[in-house]
Amino acid sequence: MTGLKILAGIACAFAFITLPYWANQGVMFLAGLALIEIIFALAWNLLFGFTGLASFGHAAFFAIGAYLTGYVLKAAIGIPFLLLILASGLAGAVVAAITGLVLLRRTTGIHLAIFTLALAEVLRLFIGYSTALGREDGLASIPRPVLELGFTTIQITSGNAYYWFICVMALVLGGLLWVICHGPFGRVLVSIRQDPERTAFMGVNVRGYRLTAFILSGGFSATAGSLYAPWAQIVTPETGHWIHSTQPMLAALLGGAHSFWGPVIGTLVFSVINYLTRNLIGLSEVVIGVVLLVIVLAAPNGIVGLIKMIRRRFFSTPGSSPAGTRS
Amino acid sequence: MSTILEVSDVHKSYGSLKVIKGVTFEVAKGDTFAIIGPNGAGKTTMFKVITGEVKRDSGTIRYKGEDVSDKTEFERVRLGMGRTFQVARTYPDVTVLDNIVVAIEVRRAARNENAPHWYNVSLRADIVAEAEEHLRDLGLSDKRDMEARFLSHGDKKRLELGLALAGMPEVLMLDEPTAGMSPQDRHATTELILRLREEKKMTVVITEHDMDVIFELASRILVLNHGEALAVGTIEEIRANPLVQDVYLGKEMYSAEG
Ligand SMILES: Nc1ncnc2c1ncn2[C@@H]1O[C@H](COP(=O)(O)OP(=O)(O)O)[C@@H](O)[C@H]1O
Ligand SMILES: [Mg+2]
Repeated sequence: MTGLKILAGIACAFAFITLPYWANQGVMFLAGLALIEIIFALAWNLLFGFTGLASFGHAAFFAIGAYLTGYVLKAAIGIPFLLLILASGLAGAVVAAITGLVLLRRTTGIHLAIFTLALAEVLRLFIGYSTALGREDGLASIPRPVLELGFTTIQITSGNAYYWFICVMALVLGGLLWVICHGPFGRVLVSIRQDPERTAFMGVNVRGYRLTAFILSGGFSATAGSLYAPWAQIVTPETGHWIHSTQPMLAALLGGAHSFWGPVIGTLVFSVINYLTRNLIGLSEVVIGVVLLVIVLAAPNGIVGLIKMIRRRFFSTPGSSPAGTRS
Repeated sequence: MSTILEVSDVHKSYGSLKVIKGVTFEVAKGDTFAIIGPNGAGKTTMFKVITGEVKRDSGTIRYKGEDVSDKTEFERVRLGMGRTFQVARTYPDVTVLDNIVVAIEVRRAARNENAPHWYNVSLRADIVAEAEEHLRDLGLSDKRDMEARFLSHGDKKRLELGLALAGMPEVLMLDEPTAGMSPQDRHATTELILRLREEKKMTVVITEHDMDVIFELASRILVLNHGEALAVGTIEEIRANPLVQDVYLGKEMYSAEG
């Protein structure tokens, strides 16, 4: 089974990398978008699926990264692009640290969800009023950057080049998140999700771990936003809208929140649905709604949970794969 | 023998309800110290005050001479206190082995004992070996790869004990370790606690309403009544104490609690 999983992974990676050779510009744009949204969904799920904290305002972090990168690129200040991505991630992390320090003192559960939602909406309104950030119109015609690697310079100003750059970044960021989730740190997070009090009595500073997870999640979300700005070449307040916050949630629920790969699968399925229904206004929402309903009713643990269930039933592998830690 | 835990004049109220009213006692290193008393006497509350789950209103709790009254629960654990809960709490979604592995990794990180790094994605062999040793101790080796939610009640209790033991506590606090167990399981658990106590040289603080378990395990007993310490002493002293006899005579002395 692991062999099959690796094979599926390689096939998927191959499809993404060769995509500029066999697909049109529109598909390529959506594919790049999907990769960015995958990082965003993974970052959100580090908090939800692994730590057990629900943020309903994660689009705010995405918007912070997108606006910072978009603004600096437009202003042509000359900061190396990789440094700009890093700075965007750090900005998201700092904002997460400040809000997390305040919010995570007492609130978890539904209160955290509402507070994050409210804070994100405040940020979006602020952006909408900010002339420097283009008010409701946002920042348009953001140039694509040049990649200065010290020993060489790579033009990623063309669509294809920037697309491949997104592929590489998705691999790096996704890989980093994978390691974080599957190491000792991730194991403690999964323990906190299952029983925070029990975990505190093993000697874990639960609040500290939650805050760290929040900071990491905010940082990675902002990094995703940073990649987004030069790809879409326009950033509007919509990137920080609560509807955008629901994207990683729906992806995680559809794919399976307790599995690392759940949000990846969920995002890909949503992207495909969006593409297939692109000409039928409003239909994609209906299809997505129905798919979600079916999944939630038939498989509370998402597509990954469904696959595991089928595998267990038909191939009678012992139910030994721990949900959440290894998948 | 030296004192490891010192509770002096501790008070605790929930609103206007005074639950602990100036309780003082000491636990010597190596003792098995039992807190007994009728339902609602304040045993669990006393337990929570010692572990840090609730904060005392006044008085002090000293651990190895250090005032820990204002320390959080995880800080007290890091100083060497371990505990189990009245209703067993384990990690249901992961395997029995992974339950123990987390406990070991957390302990090693807290004590700087050759802990894995954040990027050590695969379980390290020495940690798995240590976990398997704990499972052998607990008699859970054959359940190694089972998700904890599928365990029987007794096995869950055992696994929870294992979570506490993997933290290598100097003082192990057990809140009703045999609650809800069948007589056989109860006996097996008592034996297990006896054996582990000898092997690991731990001090044990225990609340329990089953007097057979108490008489088998305890070296000293604190009797609580309406939040006051009625008596402290050895089993013989407690049995002979007229105050204790007065309070309990003819009554259902140690009823099961909720
Ligand atoms: N969290 C709480 N809030 C209010 N009252 C409580 C709380 N916990 C316990 N009590 C009360 O404190 C008293 C002692 O409870 P407890 O310590 O659980 O006793 P025991 O464990 O000896 O049965 C009881 O009257 C109980 O109702
Ligand atoms: Mg009790």
